[in-house]
Amino acid sequence: MINKTDRKTLSRTIALGCCVCMSLAFAACDKDNNQPEPEKPGAFFLSVTGESAEYILRVDNPESGTASIAGNSKTLELSGYTWIFNEDPSVAVGLIYRQGDPGIGLGYTVAADGALQESGQFQISSRFTSYGFFDRYALTSVGGQTPVDAQGNALLDAGGNARTDAVTFNFIDLRSGFALQEKTITTLNITGNGEQATFSGIVDMGNGEFLTGLVVSQPRDPNATGGASSGTITYPDSVWVAAFDGKLGLKRIYRDNRISYSSGRFRSQYYSQIGKADNGDVYVFSGSYETTSSRPCGALRISKGATAFDPAYYFNIEEKTGGFRFRKVWHISAACFLLELYNDLAVSATGAATQYGVADMSAKTFKWVTGIPAKDKITATGLPAAYGGKMYFPITAQAADPAIYIIDPAAATAVKGLSVTGATGINAIGRLTQ
Amino acid sequence: MHLSGKFLCLLMLLPATVCANAQSLGGTVTDCEGRQPLAGVSVRIAGTSGGTATDANGQYHIGNIGAGLHTLEFSFVGMASVRKEVKAERGRQSVLNVCMDEGALGLGEIVVAAKSPVQHVRETSFNVIALDAKVLHNTSLDLSHALDRISGVKLRETGGMGSNAQISLNGFSGRHVKVFMDGLPMEGFGSSFRLNNIPVQLADRIEVYKGVIPVELGADALGGAINIVTSHRRRTYVDASYSYGSFNTHKSNLSVGLAAKNGFFVRFNAYQNYSDNSYRVKTRLLNLETNSYSAEEYWFRRFHDNYHNEAVVVKAGVAEKPWADRLQFEFTVSREKQDIQNANLMKIVYGGRERSGRSLIPGITYEKRNLLVENLNLRLAANAGLARNNNTDTLARQYNWRGEYRAKGFKGEGQYAMGEYDNRNATLAANLHYRPAEKHHFALNNLLGGFSRKATDAAANSETSTAATFMRRTNLKNVSGLSYRFEPSGYWNAAAFCKRYDVMVRGPINVSATSTASYEEQERTFGTNGYGLAATYRPTASLQLKASYEKAYRLPSENELFGDESLETGDAALRPENSHNLNLNVSYDRSFGKVHSVYLDAGLIYRDTRDYIRRQIEQRYGGAYYTNHGRVRNYGIDLEARYFYGRRFSVGGNFTYQDIRNMERYGIGGRELIYYKDRMPNVPYLFGNVDANYNLHDCFGKGNALSFGYNMRYVHSFFRDWESEGGDIIIPRQLSHDLDVLYSLRDGRYNIGLEVRNVADEMLYDNYSLQKPGRSFLIKARCFLYKQ
Repeated sequence: MINKTDRKTLSRTIALGCCVCMSLAFAACDKDNNQPEPEKPGAFFLSVTGESAEYILRVDNPESGTASIAGNSKTLELSGYTWIFNEDPSVAVGLIYRQGDPGIGLGYTVAADGALQESGQFQISSRFTSYGFFDRYALTSVGGQTPVDAQGNALLDAGGNARTDAVTFNFIDLRSGFALQEKTITTLNITGNGEQATFSGIVDMGNGEFLTGLVVSQPRDPNATGGASSGTITYPDSVWVAAFDGKLGLKRIYRDNRISYSSGRFRSQYYSQIGKADNGDVYVFSGSYETTSSRPCGALRISKGATAFDPAYYFNIEEKTGGFRFRKVWHISAACFLLELYNDLAVSATGAATQYGVADMSAKTFKWVTGIPAKDKITATGLPAAYGGKMYFPITAQAADPAIYIIDPAAATAVKGLSVTGATGINAIGRLTQ
Repeated sequence: MHLSGKFLCLLMLLPATVCANAQSLGGTVTDCEGRQPLAGVSVRIAGTSGGTATDANGQYHIGNIGAGLHTLEFSFVGMASVRKEVKAERGRQSVLNVCMDEGALGLGEIVVAAKSPVQHVRETSFNVIALDAKVLHNTSLDLSHALDRISGVKLRETGGMGSNAQISLNGFSGRHVKVFMDGLPMEGFGSSFRLNNIPVQLADRIEVYKGVIPVELGADALGGAINIVTSHRRRTYVDASYSYGSFNTHKSNLSVGLAAKNGFFVRFNAYQNYSDNSYRVKTRLLNLETNSYSAEEYWFRRFHDNYHNEAVVVKAGVAEKPWADRLQFEFTVSREKQDIQNANLMKIVYGGRERSGRSLIPGITYEKRNLLVENLNLRLAANAGLARNNNTDTLARQYNWRGEYRAKGFKGEGQYAMGEYDNRNATLAANLHYRPAEKHHFALNNLLGGFSRKATDAAANSETSTAATFMRRTNLKNVSGLSYRFEPSGYWNAAAFCKRYDVMVRGPINVSATSTASYEEQERTFGTNGYGLAATYRPTASLQLKASYEKAYRLPSENELFGDESLETGDAALRPENSHNLNLNVSYDRSFGKVHSVYLDAGLIYRDTRDYIRRQIEQRYGGAYYTNHGRVRNYGIDLEARYFYGRRFSVGGNFTYQDIRNMERYGIGGRELIYYKDRMPNVPYLFGNVDANYNLHDCFGKGNALSFGYNMRYVHSFFRDWESEGGDIIIPRQLSHDLDVLYSLRDGRYNIGLEVRNVADEMLYDNYSLQKPGRSFLIKARCFLYKQ
């Protein structure tokens, strides 16, 4: 066993042996170079899947050992929650939408005695395909909705078809008992090219604005498909990011054409591909999902407080991955992100994605994560948690109990931590503080 | 027009010389009205343990009988029993032909008549329960609630009238239990004509085959089959009823039959059900300002749960022609409309969602006995089901349980839908029965069914729909069966059968390797063989033993073979789900003196079910796929006991315990499962019914009767999820009591009844969170007139 200090020393030793830019890269991913945060009392919140239901499990230490769902967990009424975790206030928000039915959202906090407690139930009537935190709210959005007038009648387009350019947001107030407010805006011609948009990702700028990636498309074909809320992509070689204020007023649009749109697609979901580094810079990724796009998957930067993309920054990630494209992006620490990459070079709607890598955006480096199960052995992964400069990543491998793998971003190496017996998967891990 | 009550008539008593040596008795039993032979009639020699049953041609034979006078007792489901003396002449076969008449209003040996369904059951070697539906014709029950009173059967409802109703048979449900009407599958009949909205008056008899299904019902059903047998008797009658009850519930039923001497007959049946289902439920309240749920639960009255359905069934044809013993054309038209009040969690409430359905079912039946050769009988039946279903969710509103709402920025309370789905089904069943010699019976059955389905609306299911959703898909299934029964005497018989299942599906499949789906039509076929055995032995007249076994199969559905055309992949290499189904039954039926009689029945069941077809999602493969995985074992016992005190009083009950456990030790990936040997979740495993009846005959006048009935339903609590996973959600114990009073005038011609359901106003749940109605009252009037 190598302890934390040893690993740090080891990484520094390797770093010293490399060229200057490489050592900068490691330094950028190494949380220990920053001010260490005092650890607040709290617990890890795990959502685990059983064969017949979803369960909530409280764990003190995900670094090692085993936990069992039998007798230690709470059964949820519904299963299939998407969990997201906020730092301040420290809450877990469970989002759910079930085909054709509204869902019951859940809010969890840690009580003074350290126990997990359900602190709110709210109804989510709209679908959501993207989510995140902004100000005091958990925010969700879904595009492709049919806007209505005051009488509840659908607004029609020139051809007499119901419009599908509405985006519905849910504002879930974390400081007011998880009260939920729904707001709908229309997106027709939002970028000035006559098309509509679906939003992907929510990044709090900290100044009363949030950023969201735009998937700009033609209207959804009213007679054919429905799974996605966007229609045909006319401009697959362009990227747009919108800045909204808390009243959903459009402040500005960041636009560029060095990468394709910023969104990871799977079924009806639009996974966030934008994230904020510790220094406040926002990295806008594009997994280049559209087969019609000529742009390799890569990233641009919006420097802290800037009103346009940084023209000097471009990171061709595809070049570094050997042609593999990514679907999901999570911030770890500093300017380091964990990427989930497709297993095959060709991207398809049903494509499997169980390969992982760490990208250091400031140094423009990429490393495959080692120490996790092989890509053809991973049957499921869950939402990871960045904590203490490391990534706690739930992975279920074939014939094994689901486990938390702890990824050190500097070396892109992982060690296996806690296993959960009796579970078929771990949906999410997050740390909640009192 | 002279109308009269029950009738018995003796046709002929013809001694005949057939063969030498020992003397024997034999003859044919027919129904007095239609002169149709009656199969399965119990024939007993009074005072002895000897007896037999009539075969498919209504013939019976009792060999090696002592010379001299004997009394034979004939009894049959729904028929008044006949008791007749016959003289067995030394060294000869004496013939006694008998006709039987409908016994619902019978005044004869009521002790026997009340037990007649039971006796019918006893004559077959299958584990089958036949419920005489006619004794329930004065109630307001639908078919599913009648089934709920049968041992081993559990009805699970999500609410009041018209709500989702699932029948579970020995723990099997859904596509593992097939439902037939007169031998044809009801799958294609549409939701407007199904078990939970058809009044019990439409049925003569309900047969429940547990685990082992005779070849005459062609189906790939793992768990068993239910056959609703409608009236086939030709007679002239009018049966009209109307009931009104709590929650603004109205039900009416009109049934008219005409039978002409030249063999022409018509039966017309029309019924309607209507209810506001405005019962009270206890649940959490949504605050429309904050979209948060109250921590407390409150009582609310349901405000958007109106249900109504209407149906007309017409049957017409001719009988007893040289070219056809029966040729019948039938036509069923039905429709329904349902408001949807809540999601499958009660606290999620709707104020505008609704669903409707309609269906047309034309059909034809042809029967010919002694086709070309003696004792070769043919039955052909065919029907088509044209069903259309609509789902509507268009309001841009969100409701709470107070009936208040707020406006929303987009359409659809749940998901904007104006979905319309068309299902077209056709079924052709052919049955040949041949008895080349005494004791040998052959049956050959073939059932060919096909359906096509098409969605016609884009807004529906937008979460999952793809271009392929709107492409047609078809499914053709053929089940053929051959059986041989050896029936050497009335004491024992044994049957063996084999079945062949084939399915051919055609539909769209995603052949794209890129982010844009691309569909092409493909065809896949699948086939397998099954077999079974059944035998019965009666050591004494009171005691019967039965054993039956079947290797049963369920073929993969089109989704399982094809995937969902978007992100699931089908698998043509799937094995069918299969099950070893074994039944052992012991029954005892005996009278003591003139008035006391008892009936006891114990059924042991064993089911070993494997290769469940399961949908699996694995990230390493991208989408979902189907695989065979899982083994479930069930040891169960069904008990039934009944006591009769003449016609005056009866009490009885049934009890079911089933130990249904997961026997799959390892998960699909090879990991040991924590719920190995766990009881299957969300399946009732301990339940029963008790009922009692007290009748006062000739009350306030001769031919008038007053009866009091009681029915109790019990379901033990069960876990919703795997117990070993630490599931802490249970479906609570249910105990409910129903009472009814019926006053019948003039031998049952005029009836008025009062029913109280759930007398104690218990909170009842068949499914997690979905509360069923509390106490309700219902009054029913019925008039039943018929021509002698």
